[in-house]
Amino acid sequence: MPELPELNPVVHGKLRLAVLSLLATADEAEFTWLRAQTGSTDGNLGAQLMKLEEAGYVAVEKKFVQRKPQTLYRMTEAGRQALTEYVQALKQLLGSAIGG
Amino acid sequence: MDAMETQELKERLALIEQMMMAGRRSTENWGWTFVLWGVAYYVAIGWSALGAASYAWPVTMVATCVLMGVFLARRDRKPNTTMNRAIIGVWIALGVTMMALMPALAISGRFADAHGSIAVVCALLGMANGASGIVLRWRLQIASACVWWVSSIVACFGSQMQALVVFMVAIFFCQIGFGIACMMAGAREARGMKDGAHA
Repeated sequence: MPELPELNPVVHGKLRLAVLSLLATADEAEFTWLRAQTGSTDGNLGAQLMKLEEAGYVAVEKKFVQRKPQTLYRMTEAGRQALTEYVQALKQLLGSAIGG
Repeated sequence: MDAMETQELKERLALIEQMMMAGRRSTENWGWTFVLWGVAYYVAIGWSALGAASYAWPVTMVATCVLMGVFLARRDRKPNTTMNRAIIGVWIALGVTMMALMPALAISGRFADAHGSIAVVCALLGMANGASGIVLRWRLQIASACVWWVSSIVACFGSQMQALVVFMVAIFFCQIGFGIACMMAGAREARGMKDGAHA
């Protein structure tokens, strides 16, 4: 029987997974947009983004636009790879579960 | 793996799909622009009927562009996705085409033929909605494009008044009705996402 893959714990967190999925379709996204799309709080989203940043899955850029601070996030190549592998592992696990 | 774990994994997969769709279905966030332009067309038509035909359209269109610019400047910046760029490109191209063609038709005196003008405008709106609907795989917008295309053909026949009525009916369904449907769908999706993505 083939060994079942393990799910990446950094990607597996529900909010972190939501953020990575959102960033997968975007070049870059503002913190406020991510917050609106996920319906999370500032504190929770900030903490999860920090974990993703520490893992090297997202890159952050802070700048001022018309004197207002703006925080932009984008997915790194490592993040894209991690999400792809996570989806493949998820499908494999679900396939084995359905197949018995 | 027990049934509970399987259910959790299925939920994770559904969450990925839902979030990826959020990045794609941005047209729903633009529902208000369809309503805005629909109202602008009605204003221009009504104003023209009151006897200001020479300047009602250019003034209304420029004013609507300015109004839209003001609204857009106040909005949060949205992320730029490949699909967004494709859709925005279609609508910018439509805007430039209309802004170049319509004044040229008016100045050259060929705008007087209501059949031709309405048919061209309906066909262009059908093209933009059709391209956007096909890219987004969105049946409602493709249906809207079909209404514009049918209106474009119908506008070539009958009296000028009949062509105008066809145009106004198409504006009602494809601009105002479609815009309101977009806004409602956007609000519904936003609620769904808030329910689904909490950690």
